[in-house]
Amino acid sequence: MTRWLRKAPVYVVLVILTFLWLLPVASSFLVSLKSSQDFVSQTFYQLPTQVYFFKNLVTVIQQYRLLDNLGNSLMYSAAGTLVVIVAASMAGFSIVRLRPKFNFALFLIIYSGTLFPFQMYLIPVYRLFNTLNLYDTRTGMVLIYSAICIPFSLFVYRGFYTTIPREIEEAAKLDGCGPARSFFSVFLPQSLPPTAVVALFQATWIWNDLLFGMVLSRAQSVRPIMVAVATMTGYGGGNIPWIMTAVIFTSIPTILLFVALRKFFIQGMVLSITS
Amino acid sequence: MVILLVLPMMQNLYYSFFKWDGISAPIFNGIKNYLVMASDPIIGTSMLNTVTWVAFTLVFPALGGLVVAVFVTGLRGENFFKSIFFIPLTISFVATGIIWTYMLGKELGVLNGLLMLLGIPLKPSYLTSVPLNTFSMIFAWTWQQLGTNMVMFLMGLGTIPRDPIEACIIDGANKWQTFVHVKFPMLRPITTVVITMAMVNSFKVFDIIYVMTRGGPYSSSETLAISMFRETFTLFHMGYGAAISVILSLIVIVISAAYIRRMTKRDMLYY
Repeated sequence: MTRWLRKAPVYVVLVILTFLWLLPVASSFLVSLKSSQDFVSQTFYQLPTQVYFFKNLVTVIQQYRLLDNLGNSLMYSAAGTLVVIVAASMAGFSIVRLRPKFNFALFLIIYSGTLFPFQMYLIPVYRLFNTLNLYDTRTGMVLIYSAICIPFSLFVYRGFYTTIPREIEEAAKLDGCGPARSFFSVFLPQSLPPTAVVALFQATWIWNDLLFGMVLSRAQSVRPIMVAVATMTGYGGGNIPWIMTAVIFTSIPTILLFVALRKFFIQGMVLSITS
Repeated sequence: MVILLVLPMMQNLYYSFFKWDGISAPIFNGIKNYLVMASDPIIGTSMLNTVTWVAFTLVFPALGGLVVAVFVTGLRGENFFKSIFFIPLTISFVATGIIWTYMLGKELGVLNGLLMLLGIPLKPSYLTSVPLNTFSMIFAWTWQQLGTNMVMFLMGLGTIPRDPIEACIIDGANKWQTFVHVKFPMLRPITTVVITMAMVNSFKVFDIIYVMTRGGPYSSSETLAISMFRETFTLFHMGYGAAISVILSLIVIVISAAYIRRMTKRDMLYY
């Protein structure tokens, strides 16, 4: 009993925090169910007079043509992540096993992508894209997203490959494997955990990106989804039930990805810190 | 990738010495951009806001993450509470910004609705009054970020061996003394990472501010990242924007120096 009493304040605080953490989610769901009339005439906790979610969804898709942006982002996430997985796994392998002599430059590159603010290369990239005619094209978007994601992924793959004992590679070498062969038949088959981590983190990052989408694209056929959602708010606040519906609708893919790969999330955190 | 990331950084530094509108040829004007910046009141506010962001992200998401991680371990319902703090991680900053814009709305917002339910005759406009708007956004940021830091600290706490703690308890130390003298020092590697990341990320906050206030009203809630974006891509003062981003990056590099040094030193072991 005394033990329980001592713990009571902790529980009270945690319950309050839980309430604070759940309230935004719950009320957002509730709003997305309401029609604009209900939203204006009711207070936030009242249930809608009729479920309006699908009507909201149809309106949002038709008026803001969200499906275009959704398609774009799906393409960017898939293509970007694929490029990153191929490039970073090979690069990570070569850094760890072939030990090239330009370590410092490599670290600069890695940190340039993970620590330095994106603003640092926003202007030059914008200019470069303009001169190369990549501005406002899908190719350009895939290119920049892959480039931004490679440093972190390289970090993850490098950290993972350092945990593979060197003896294994030496054994492969004795059996007559060159670096390429030992990568494809020894290292690659073991790489599921880092690949899942990279896929989860980078696909989510690309999907959620706002800054690059805003700077490097303009046309509806190129703009990624989060830019479209963010511009829906506008200065006057916009129609909140519609916006909430769009928010929930566009968050579904990342939530599903998280649920599917959640056991790799912790692993990714471990890799990105301890490596 | 070198072409896409490293070269531009150098180029950015170079542009920061020019007056350039993005269309006509850049005009060299030395360090004038930096001088203008030093006397620009908006940049002053923006700097102040950035410092506020950094200070309070150390208090709320980082320290808060530690506190929650410490108290939640071994509690009944541990997994339930952990997954609650996990929820915001699965949604984007844009979504977080929009959700909290609605929460904090003046007339129809949930928070003011709650105040009315409780009979408190206050109706603050969270996003348009200064400096409340910055704090409101820091709160939204905390909502999103606490989970990450909690997970990291939980991992750190999990790696602490039992022996020193037991030795401590045998010596008659209470829980607080055990934490301060044994657990916290052993958490130091993780604490360094969390603190560095929290600071660096708060310098880079862009999405939430852009969605919630666009830096307004009248640039009162801008941070350097937002100021840079506004100068560069809405006013097309490319040189000036570049100068702001150089300052921003310098601060980030200085702050993360300790972290980078530790990481590189440790990495040398592999070679």
